[in-house]
Amino acid sequence: MGRFLFWLAVGLMVFVFVFPVLWIYVTALKGPDDIFADNPFVFAPTLENFDYLINVRPSYWELINSMIMSVASTFFVMAVSLPAAYSFARFNTGNGHILFITISTRMFPGVVAAIPFFLLFRDLGLLDTHLGLSLLYVYFNMSFATFLLYGFFREIPESLEKAAMLDGYDRLSILRWIVFPLIKPGIAVTTMFCLIWSWNEFLFAFLFTRRIARTISVGQSTFWGSVEIQWGPMAALMCIAVLPTLLAAWIMQKHVIRGLTFGAVKG
Amino acid sequence: MAEQVKTRLFDDDRYMRWILIGPLLLFLVCFMLYPTLYSLYMSFTDYVMRGAPNFIGLDNYRAVLADDVFWAALGRTLYVLVLSISVELTLGMALALVLNRDFKGQGIVRGLCFIPLLVSPLSMSLMWNYILHIQFGVVNTVIGWAGFEPVGFLSTPGLALNTVAFITIWQWLPFSTFVLLAGLKGLPRDQYEAAQIDGASPWRIFFRLTLPMLKPLIIIIILLRTMWLMRLFDPLYGTTRGGLETELLDWMIYRVSFVFFDIGQGAAYALFALYITLIVGALMFKQLIKAMDGK
Repeated sequence: MGRFLFWLAVGLMVFVFVFPVLWIYVTALKGPDDIFADNPFVFAPTLENFDYLINVRPSYWELINSMIMSVASTFFVMAVSLPAAYSFARFNTGNGHILFITISTRMFPGVVAAIPFFLLFRDLGLLDTHLGLSLLYVYFNMSFATFLLYGFFREIPESLEKAAMLDGYDRLSILRWIVFPLIKPGIAVTTMFCLIWSWNEFLFAFLFTRRIARTISVGQSTFWGSVEIQWGPMAALMCIAVLPTLLAAWIMQKHVIRGLTFGAVKG
Repeated sequence: MAEQVKTRLFDDDRYMRWILIGPLLLFLVCFMLYPTLYSLYMSFTDYVMRGAPNFIGLDNYRAVLADDVFWAALGRTLYVLVLSISVELTLGMALALVLNRDFKGQGIVRGLCFIPLLVSPLSMSLMWNYILHIQFGVVNTVIGWAGFEPVGFLSTPGLALNTVAFITIWQWLPFSTFVLLAGLKGLPRDQYEAAQIDGASPWRIFFRLTLPMLKPLIIIIILLRTMWLMRLFDPLYGTTRGGLETELLDWMIYRVSFVFFDIGQGAAYALFALYITLIVGALMFKQLIKAMDGK
C-alpha cells in the first residue's frame, strides 16, 4: 500500500511537471486545423510549423543572438562573481552588508532598472545591440551567481588553506591548486543557471532589442499578433528554444542536488 | 621589486579581499547605485521621454499614495507572494521527502522534475495559456469529457489571478524542492539514529530535528522567492497582459513607464515598491545570517 501511494505520488508529480513541456512538442507538430480541433489528442503530425520558421519567418538569427549573449554575459558574470564570492566567504568582506547589497540588485523591480538604462543606452547608442543586452544580463545574473558561489566557497574548510600556507605556498598557488579544484562543481552549477536564465530572459530583451539583437524569447512573443496567436509556429520555436535547457538539465542533475544548499547546511 | 609588490598585495588578506571584490563593487556602482539615484531624481520630475524634465517636488509620490490602482496592484502582488511561497514551501517539502527516498530510476525522476525550472517563463506562460484556454485548451476538453462546464481559468476575473499564481508555482516548485532535497541530503545521520533509538516518532523527528536544521534553507527560499515574485512579469505577458484584475506591480510600472512614457511617475511607483522589498529582504537576510552562523 505504501509503495503504491509512493509511486502514485511520483507518477503524478512527474506528469504535472512534464506534461506542459511535452505539450509544446505535440502542438509544434500540429497543423493549423488540428490546433483548434475538438479532440486535442488525435491529429496528423506535420512539420509545416518548422518549415514556417525556416522559410517564411526565419528564426535562426534569434537563436544565434541568444547564444552569443548568454555565453558572453555568463563569462563576465563568472569573472566578477567568482573572486567576489571567495572574498565574501573567506574574509567576510563588508560584514554581510555588501553581500546583501549584491543580492538586493534582484529586488529592484526589473522595469525600474530598465528606465535609467533605457535612457542611458539611448544616449550611448547601446539600444538593440548585443553589448547592451549582455551587460544587462551580467547585472541580472550577478547577484544570484555570487550568492550561490558564496555557498560553495563556505563549504571549503579554511583549515585546508591555512595548512597549505604553512607549507609555504603563496595565495595564488593555493587558489589555483586547492580552492579551484574544490569549487569546480560550484562553477558548473552556477554557469548552468546563468546560461539558462539569460537564455530565457524576456523583459530586458523585450524592452531593449528590436531587430538586430532580438533574442529567442522576444521571437516567441512576436507570434502573439494584434489579430491572432499563431500557436503552431510559436510552439515550434519554443521546442527548439527548450532543447539546450533540457540538455543542461540532463548533464547537471547530479551536481545541482549537491549544490543547492547555499552552504547553509553543514553536513 | 615587482615580485615583492605582487606578494604583498596578494598574500596580505587586507589587500586581497578588496582586490577580489573590486570588479563586483565597480559593477554595483554602475548597475545599482546609478539606476537607483537616477530613478530617485526622475521620481521628482515630470519627464515623459521628450523635452526636459521639470522638477515637480513630491507630486509623483502624492499621486502614488492617492492611487487606488497602485494599492490594488500592490495587494495582488502580496497575495500572489504569500500564496506562492506557502504552497511552494509545503508542497516542496513533501516532494523533497518523497525524492529523498532511495528508489529505482530516481535519477530520471529527479531530472524530469527539474525541467520546469529550466524552461523559459515566457514560453511556459504562453503554453499554459494554450493548455488552459476555455475553448480549445486540453484541460477544458478533459473537463468537458467528464461532463462539466468549461472553466475560464484565464478569462474569469478573480480566477485569472490564481491561475497566474499557479503558473509561477508550477515553474518554481522544483526550486524549493531541490533546495530542500539538497538540505535533506546534507543532514548528519548520527542524530537521526540517536533519535530513532530513543523511539521518537517520525513526526517528532521531522518537527524537532529536520525542520530546525533546514531553517536556513527555508529562509533562503523565502528571501529569493520574495525578490523574484515582487518582479513577476513574464507570466502576465504570456496570459492576461494585466487584464481581468491581474495587474501586478511590475506590470503596472511597465504600463506607466513604457506604454504611457510617464517616466517620473513610473519611477515613483518603482521606488515605492523597491523600499517595501528592501525592508522585507533586509529583515529576512538578518535572520538568515543569524541562522547560518548560529550553529
